Amino acid sequence: MSESEPVDPWERLRSLPMGTTVAVIRSDGSTWTGAVVPPHEFSGARVIQLKLASGYNVGLRIDPTDRVTVTEPTKANGNGLHNWGSPPATTPTGPWVALLTTGGTIASRVDYRTGGVRPVQGEREILSFYPDLAQDGPVRVVPVFDRLSEEIGPEDWDEMARRTAAVFAQGASGVVIAHGTDTMAYTSAALSFLLEDLPGPVVLVGAQRSPDRPSSDGFTNLTAAVRLARHPELGEVVVVMHDGLSDDRFAVHRGTRVRKMHSSRRDAFRSRNGPPLGYVEGPTVRLDRPFRPKSKGPAKFTGPLGTGATILWFHPGLSPERAASFATGARGIVIAGTGLGHVSLAHLPWIRDSIAKGTVIAMTTQCLEGEADPFVYATGRELARAGVIYLGDALPETAYTKLLWALGQSNDPQRVGELLATPRAGDLEARREAEDHP
Amino acid sequence: MRAGLEVHQQLATGKLFCACPSELSETVTRTVERRLRATGGENHAIDPAAAFQASRNLTYLYEATPTSCLVELDEEPPHPLNGEALDVALTMALLLGARPLDEVEVMRKIVVDGSNTSGFQRTALVAVDGRLEVGGRSYSIPTICLEEDACRRGAESKLGVHFRLDRLGIPLVEIATGPEIQSGEEARTVAEEIGLLLRATRRVRRGIGSIREDVNVSAEGGARVELKGVQELRLVPQYVDGEVARQRALLEVRDELSRRHASVPNDAPTDVTEELRGLGSGPLGDTVRRGGAVLGIALLGFSGLLAPPGGTRERLGRELADHARTTGVRGLFHSDEIPSQGIEGGINLALRNRLRATGPQDAFVLVAAPTPEEANRALAAIRARAAQALEGIPAETRDPLPDGRTRFSRPLPGRDRMYPETDVPPIAVSAERLRTLRAHLPERPSETRARLLAKYSLSEDVARALQKAADVDRFEELVARGHTSALVAQLLAREIPATGDDEPFDFPTELLDELLTAVEHGTFAKEGIGPVVAALAAGAPTVADAIAKSGLSGMDRTQLESIASAIVAKNEALIASRGEGAFSPLMGDLMREVRGRRDGQEVAEVLRVALARRSAPGTT
Repeated sequence: MSESEPVDPWERLRSLPMGTTVAVIRSDGSTWTGAVVPPHEFSGARVIQLKLASGYNVGLRIDPTDRVTVTEPTKANGNGLHNWGSPPATTPTGPWVALLTTGGTIASRVDYRTGGVRPVQGEREILSFYPDLAQDGPVRVVPVFDRLSEEIGPEDWDEMARRTAAVFAQGASGVVIAHGTDTMAYTSAALSFLLEDLPGPVVLVGAQRSPDRPSSDGFTNLTAAVRLARHPELGEVVVVMHDGLSDDRFAVHRGTRVRKMHSSRRDAFRSRNGPPLGYVEGPTVRLDRPFRPKSKGPAKFTGPLGTGATILWFHPGLSPERAASFATGARGIVIAGTGLGHVSLAHLPWIRDSIAKGTVIAMTTQCLEGEADPFVYATGRELARAGVIYLGDALPETAYTKLLWALGQSNDPQRVGELLATPRAGDLEARREAEDHP
Repeated sequence: MRAGLEVHQQLATGKLFCACPSELSETVTRTVERRLRATGGENHAIDPAAAFQASRNLTYLYEATPTSCLVELDEEPPHPLNGEALDVALTMALLLGARPLDEVEVMRKIVVDGSNTSGFQRTALVAVDGRLEVGGRSYSIPTICLEEDACRRGAESKLGVHFRLDRLGIPLVEIATGPEIQSGEEARTVAEEIGLLLRATRRVRRGIGSIREDVNVSAEGGARVELKGVQELRLVPQYVDGEVARQRALLEVRDELSRRHASVPNDAPTDVTEELRGLGSGPLGDTVRRGGAVLGIALLGFSGLLAPPGGTRERLGRELADHARTTGVRGLFHSDEIPSQGIEGGINLALRNRLRATGPQDAFVLVAAPTPEEANRALAAIRARAAQALEGIPAETRDPLPDGRTRFSRPLPGRDRMYPETDVPPIAVSAERLRTLRAHLPERPSETRARLLAKYSLSEDVARALQKAADVDRFEELVARGHTSALVAQLLAREIPATGDDEPFDFPTELLDELLTAVEHGTFAKEGIGPVVAALAAGAPTVADAIAKSGLSGMDRTQLESIASAIVAKNEALIASRGEGAFSPLMGDLMREVRGRRDGQEVAEVLRVALARRSAPGTT
């Protein structure tokens, strides 16, 4: 292509393969030389990004009068100095842990070409990112899917549960599920209801910082999770994440008791209404609370989950009409009510109506700590009389996944209500202690 | 030789990526323990500097303060870049005639020495291709960057290295010069001029460490060595000249090694712990007694070059020790140190045989460590450095030490450590923004000087000193309050800077106003400003208190006259023999007694009167 050809230099630059080294000669006579890299999503109009020899990226607004010359075609990647280690050549033998990957920060890295985040793919790349994982025994990577956790839904929970049962059947001694953190607590609750007779631990783990960052919590979280997955006695679904802001202690949360309580901190995950089951500190795993021991197996998948459930967060000013229209067509609704589990009595008519039509309505507390109790105030008594099922100290999200599970077990609202109200996976506890709300 | 500068100036705008103030703090609210590891940069390659730092596998202890938040702790994403700080960087770009970018992109520069909680430093190129005139020479300013400062490094304890979060995130404007500087003194002059220009923006932090220089130095035939984080401008010439001398000396060592056909054998290190049983006290003997290990390697043809006699040449031995230290091992011994620690005679022979360093020009190095693994790691680092000595000067980053020497810190980082900071959107630099900044450009230092000279009749030197003290504004304010310019200049440009070489005491303007008023009212003399300022800096709560503490209070004219008469009476003989010539020595005696309490001119006048009074009746 000759330079005199009347092509808009912006169009020309956009058409070049990424990584092509170009010189942009501007109307003021200045010249910029660098490799073309994609602009940031928030870059301005007609802005091209060049990576200079110094490593810096610069943004240039390309004028029609600017000239462009290609100085070097795309270079293949690989001016690497120390390529990050390949996985250990000899895989240690012994009981193996299955690492199920589902996407999320823990299994993603920055694509340096685009500056965006992309998933880590394949066992080799994952073990090259986490070379310490296999130090205590073999880890087999099982890719399930690759989704940011806000894209994960109930069908995916079924899929994860099935795959978990399958790897146990293949002989895994424990299962680790790498998961995006946003909805990890929903998944842990759903799996708690979906899986029975676990012959080993099922450990969900995530990262609040992507593993391409030297400070990622993914390295230490995953190491702690794999360590816990080798626990000889544990047989339930748990979440393992940072216990504090330091990289030295990891809390083991019961799958139905855990919640993401901060949008960005490493220690975002907290057990509600009680302390964690225990901790992983260095090589030591300590479970201080009663836990469900592993069974002889085989692990049983008790799904699939039903459909048609939702959560309604009551708030002052919520009109009964809006709530009623939200509830229309739902097979089950978990209400996150105020205090001990209340909504304005103006809502009683649509609630009665829905229950009469076969919708299961359950009550939890939006306080997240303490229990929903219908007997203290008249409002609660009215709601309970109307047929609202009070779910004690269950978290709203946990109650929601349990409702989906119960809807999968039966079409009879009466039976669904019974299943919902029966403790199953540590989701409904009888006592709370003074120390549980620190 | 060639040298280039990178001047880093902290801004007082508030932090670059969060809402914290640009302030240090001595209050630690929480300590957090972290580990960092090298991750692949672009192309999944690991920068050599990052790999080196991560190989040390240290634990870092971060100290949170009231001037740090979740962003510094790496617990919250960075906020959008501080627009005020960008304005300062753009202002500098305009002052230096540089070309600002159309869109500023924030990058992550991998640094895993623990000084950044994230494991990288956020940095953005703001402008390119500026120029700076200093002393009739023109220097290129290839880049102007805006970046975040790192943590303050504290003690290294058994638990790990301590870092204070207060400094992390303070904006730094980085101004780089081309490699056009030809001497250490020139480097200092250029750095000083850049510092003055930065201060002209009036948005910079003051005090020690608020401006730091990286100096890139290469001697003829040497390599680019970066002296990182020089805080004291006055030491720049010493560091630069010292580095040139070091490179030249090591080039001589290389030439000598080449003449000798020296080599560094690749054999595994030999465990010589057994040979050293029975050694007396000293690091080697003590290590063996405590159950540790001593391992060694041979360096063929290196004898006499590790620690040349006379100490005139740079010691290669010290370079080896510096590299060993980066693996955490301090106990290094080499054969140029014989005899010491009881190694001589039979033990020396036995060691040489075991290590196969038997030739007359062969040397050996021993490392004492708690375990053979640690000794092996240290010897691997030593061997690598010794092999580099055969080639010449390794390109590296060196830390400046307070005594003017430098020490190996890490290999020079490459471009593999930069990748985009995706959490921060790019910032468009609009023509409108540049127009506004251009319309409000601060006065250049040379213009300020010219104005000070014309308006206040200051000398060039005094004007410069005021600028250096960053106190031009206060000077003008105090003069506007009615104080005489010469007195204010003396106070701000001389007496206050003398309270601390690098960090003068920060006096409230009101206090200085009061002090100047006291001098003008004759409460004490201008000769006493120094002691009074020193007393205030030492903690005197008021000017009156400082005057009393300096022993400058409580002398009136009558007391002065009586002291003068006493001195005259005591020196009858001298006056008789020298007549007029006795005035000077007597004035000296008198000033010693009353300096600072009464004005010098007044003292001279009183002495003259006393002398006249004596001679009047005595002529008979």
